Amino acid sequence: MISIFEGLDASLDRILAVALRVIRQLKRDRRTVGLITFIPIFLMVLFGYALSGDMSGICLGLVDEGGQEGLRGHIEGVDDFEILHLGSASDAEQLIEEGRLNGAIVLGPGQVVVMLDGSSPQIATSLINLVRAGLEGPMPLDLRYIYGYDLEMMDSVGPAVLGLVVFFFTFIVSAVSFLRERTQGSLEKFVASPLSRPEMVLGYLLGFSVFTVIQSVTTLVVVVFVFGVPMYGSPITALAVVLLLGAAALVMGAFFSNFAKTEFQVVQFIPLVILPQVVLTGVWWPLQSIPESIRPVSSILPLTYSSEALRAVMLKGASLCEIMPDIFALSLFFAIGFLAATLALKREVG
Amino acid sequence: MSDDILIQNEASNDMTVAARDLVKRFGQLKVLDGLTICIPRGTTYCLLGPNGSGKTTFIRSIVGLIRLDGGEMEVLGRPISRVREIISRIGYMTQHKALYPDLTLQENMEFYASLYGIKGARRRARIDELLEMVDLEDHRRRLAGDLSGGMYQRLSLACTLIHDPDLLLLDEPTVGVDPRLRRTFWEYFESLTDGGATILITTHLMDEAEKCRIVGYMKAGRLEAEGSPVAIKRLAGLRPSIRLWVDDSKATADLLASSGFEVIESGDALDVFLDSFNDARTVLDLARPRDLKLVEPTLEEAFLRLSDIGRGG
Ligand SMILES: Nc1ncnc2c1ncn2[C@@H]1O[C@H](COP(=O)(O)OP(=O)(O)OP(=O)(O)O)[C@@H](O)[C@H]1O
Ligand SMILES: [Mg+2]
Repeated sequence: MISIFEGLDASLDRILAVALRVIRQLKRDRRTVGLITFIPIFLMVLFGYALSGDMSGICLGLVDEGGQEGLRGHIEGVDDFEILHLGSASDAEQLIEEGRLNGAIVLGPGQVVVMLDGSSPQIATSLINLVRAGLEGPMPLDLRYIYGYDLEMMDSVGPAVLGLVVFFFTFIVSAVSFLRERTQGSLEKFVASPLSRPEMVLGYLLGFSVFTVIQSVTTLVVVVFVFGVPMYGSPITALAVVLLLGAAALVMGAFFSNFAKTEFQVVQFIPLVILPQVVLTGVWWPLQSIPESIRPVSSILPLTYSSEALRAVMLKGASLCEIMPDIFALSLFFAIGFLAATLALKREVG
Repeated sequence: MSDDILIQNEASNDMTVAARDLVKRFGQLKVLDGLTICIPRGTTYCLLGPNGSGKTTFIRSIVGLIRLDGGEMEVLGRPISRVREIISRIGYMTQHKALYPDLTLQENMEFYASLYGIKGARRRARIDELLEMVDLEDHRRRLAGDLSGGMYQRLSLACTLIHDPDLLLLDEPTVGVDPRLRRTFWEYFESLTDGGATILITTHLMDEAEKCRIVGYMKAGRLEAEGSPVAIKRLAGLRPSIRLWVDDSKATADLLASSGFEVIESGDALDVFLDSFNDARTVLDLARPRDLKLVEPTLEEAFLRLSDIGRGG
């Protein structure tokens, strides 16, 4: 017996009863099971081929700290490079390390720093030439070599998409399940039973996690073995991140279900909850390139942290300790969602 | 008509549910409006009342599904604020569907059993017993969503009884159930109350209400009348009557009227109202009818009378 708020004793038996029930229901729903396991594979294959090959073109970061308008205009006028405006030199450094930028130029009053990816000398040379050509008068160039790895688009996108897929399906299936508890009247029946609301949410978590594990393992296998995305860190750590994200998605789905009256209305959450995460959490393009003004939005989206953590684990071999800040953020999402979901369930009753 | 008699006459620890002045509003609508009601232990109490009179709302408030706006209530000796402590002694069968349509009968019952900590062999035995009672053993592997209306209702009752509750709240449990099984149900209910359980039931079937020890008639959120089925009829102003066929209607009617009986001519017969069936002997001695028929008013008439009171003036 573990004691949970409300002064109630949570019984493991009851949590297990809910979990078993949820598993039985989902298992019977062949189509959803198929959707949960095969759609991620399908999506990965789709993305994989669409994004195969090296990153198209050369990507250059530009950090402007003022005082070099002439050079800046020159760089921006060149068509050979994709230019990404970044906020700080350290952002640029990190992106080069991750292989997502081929180089970066930091413009400051009286100095110009050129960061180069040491692993591709040809690009480095052409970068230096570009900057030299744009300089007005003599100015010392500070050249820094950073060793990033040769990254394919899929390497960067794969880990993030893994999180996206798990979040999307868990959120939707959870929202629909909790909605059904209300619309089919079963909520009414077990509010009048010894089952407490936290027990119910925990039961759902347990039941769903079985499917989340299946889903993340299949997706991971496809990402790593079919698309050759590296897995330098521990797969268990990656799985833990995904499970935590799934748990957050579940409680968020449970909470949001209170604002829907029909399953059709649940579908309307997709543009509200899912799409911002697709756009603003660094799945497709680096977070650092998102305008400052909407960055705070990114920081309140769980996928931001899961993408960061998964990339760190898979591409840089980060250990659990190194991704603690992300784990902490995801846990916070889960805790707030859990509380909100439980309280909302309570308020539902007249 | 007051129900306070019951509260005063019986000690409150013999009451499974004792409620006083309950008030519940939904927006502007006052759904419970000073409801005072007591349900003694070991009885079958039937709540009657027109649609929307607040029967379901009262039942939901007993299990804590409704936050009351006023009044006091004790359930199984606990104040309503602490009803969670004894929630496992209550069985609530909802008026609307509340089972999982995508689980089989057996799985539904297993789920509810585990919520009450009933496991293993005991659970198996209990499920078998109840499925037999509701005559669904042959369907235990079917999905609840595929059952017919009456079968679903039977399963719902079985799930409600799974933990052998002390207080059974049955909100229209027999809707759509065929007469044979309804009889089985009522026999089972009787065995439960014999064993000390208390049953609060709502129904719109008057023959079922006749079977209950106490009938309460609710209207617009209050208890309008309460008592045994016979008492309710009296409260509604209904009396038993005797229908007589006599040779000289006019003379007999006058004779009976002069002896203080209320007589109405209806066709070729006379209806004589009785205060009790004991008066029947006097009537027969006076009238010496060719033929006769005793008429006991039905609860249905009482229901109609009670619901008409206050309507149109
Ligand atoms: N959650 C709610 N929100 C708003 N109104 C409600 C709610 N629940 C019940 N009501 C209203 O309260 C009134 C009483 O409803 P209730 O279900 O208690 O009636 P009832 O006596 O059980 O009727 P029936 O015989 O049809 O089952 C109705 O007018 C109903 O619309
Ligand atoms: Mg009702």
